[in-house]
Amino acid sequence: MNVIEIKNLTKYYGKARGVIDVSIDVEQGEIFGFIGPNGAGKSTTIRTLLGLIYPTRGSAKIFGKSCTTNPEVREDVGYLPSEVFYYDGMRVIDLLRYSASFYGKDCTKRINELAEIMDLDLKRRIDDLSFGNKKKVGIVQGLLHGPKLIILDEPTTGLDPLMQQTFFDLIASENKKGATVFLSSHILREVQKMCERVALIKDGRIIKLERMSALQENNFKRIKVEGLSDLDKTIFDMPGVSKLENGGKTASFLYRGDINNVIRKLAQTEVSNLSIDEPDLEEVFMHYYSKDG
Amino acid sequence: MNMYLHELKSLRKSTIIWVCAMITIALMYLSLYPAIYRDGAHFKDMLAGYPASIRAMLGVTVDSVTSLLGFYSMILAFVVLCGGVQAMNLGMTILSKETRERTAEFLLVKPVSRTAVVTAKVLAALTVLLVTDVVYYAVASAIAFMVRQSSYSGGLFFMINVTILFVQLIFFAIGAVVSVFFDRLRSVLPVSLGTVFGCYIIGALIAAGKDDWARFISPFRYFDYPSIIGSSRYETPYLITGAVIVVVSIVTCYFVYARKDIHAIS
Repeated sequence: MNVIEIKNLTKYYGKARGVIDVSIDVEQGEIFGFIGPNGAGKSTTIRTLLGLIYPTRGSAKIFGKSCTTNPEVREDVGYLPSEVFYYDGMRVIDLLRYSASFYGKDCTKRINELAEIMDLDLKRRIDDLSFGNKKKVGIVQGLLHGPKLIILDEPTTGLDPLMQQTFFDLIASENKKGATVFLSSHILREVQKMCERVALIKDGRIIKLERMSALQENNFKRIKVEGLSDLDKTIFDMPGVSKLENGGKTASFLYRGDINNVIRKLAQTEVSNLSIDEPDLEEVFMHYYSKDG
Repeated sequence: MNMYLHELKSLRKSTIIWVCAMITIALMYLSLYPAIYRDGAHFKDMLAGYPASIRAMLGVTVDSVTSLLGFYSMILAFVVLCGGVQAMNLGMTILSKETRERTAEFLLVKPVSRTAVVTAKVLAALTVLLVTDVVYYAVASAIAFMVRQSSYSGGLFFMINVTILFVQLIFFAIGAVVSVFFDRLRSVLPVSLGTVFGCYIIGALIAAGKDDWARFISPFRYFDYPSIIGSSRYETPYLITGAVIVVVSIVTCYFVYARKDIHAIS
């Protein structure tokens, strides 16, 4: 069963583009990555999914229902916004209790467990907390009711690396318990580590939706060549080459396609050194995102 | 219920401050009443010296000013003004504060409908207004009883005090409907102060003339105290107008809020 179904979702803010024709299905139990630079439409997609904004066209459903017509489906959703803001003058525990009161079950035990894991002082006033600590409140708040779908929007901003690790361990254990995770980020490392499938979004459109493994393989190779003498620029003038950096004796580029073609080409020149690597996601990502790529 | 209680809790402090302000106004002016009663003739002479239009603007009726109800209805205008600002502020902030303080992403992703959110908030605001007025009424009654120089009608005293709530309901509803259309206002106080004082001044200017239709413009003029004291009843056309404004505004509020986009931080 699909936990998230987004079909041909289009959202315009007046004339300003939000997202265009976005379609994503997220299956139960998977960790789905949603990657794109700032302003690409990640938050717009998430906010439509949660029913905070209405689609211009298309639909966004959770557990087969729209949040705007069936607000009760949000019972099983935990959401961590990219920037957390809470009511003034409340203590952490008051806020968490208020949050729990919407779900009609006793969450006290879970609140304490999560606070322990995230090293969060429940007695402090929220106004006095640092950005990172507010984020922790957001994490506990998003998870305290044991949601079946966890939606994370730029979850790690403000957390120190140690806490990021703790956080990802926590998300992984929630996932093991059966929760589906939708993780939006522009930091590729976190997505690369966790996600089974990813969607890349750029300028409001999904430009790639693939399994993580396929995305990394996908015939992409990072190739570095060192020649005995200056390399002839024309040898790299072939289909599949991108991100070419050619400086005298050395050249490096991404190659996509039949590896034999590029080897035949390289064989025509005297090479002193050659390396062919798997590109990391960052490079794949840059390839998709660069305006000319 | 949890949202309602949460709202009440968050409105607690400001409500106490508003009640205190309203009581202070009543206390300050009512404490002058015994002295004014004693020097009744002088006071009337002094007021009679004012141009009629100025007296009308200030809501002064020379003949009745030395009676407790006459005197009280003069100062009640300031209490109503104060209550009006409170109500409009409440109306303008109750829904829009979620967007302005960026807590919408907390509240509106909970498993509750927007309609339920509006209901909880409107009920909490109405409770606050009611509590404000009940507490104010209790204290004002006690003060009036203490400074009285002769007996007065408790029923009429109640009737003119209830107009605080009527005016507050109107301004609350106007504030609420304005806020669903302009929820990106940085600060609501200038808008609510401006609207309420604007209405008050227009009301005062209208009072100088005697046009009945012009009174529809300012909610402050919907309730004419000399007329209420004289006839022991509210003027139906204005009462109905007030009710229509409240109902239309609140219904619009529900309708718009349920369908609007809750924008991210801008």
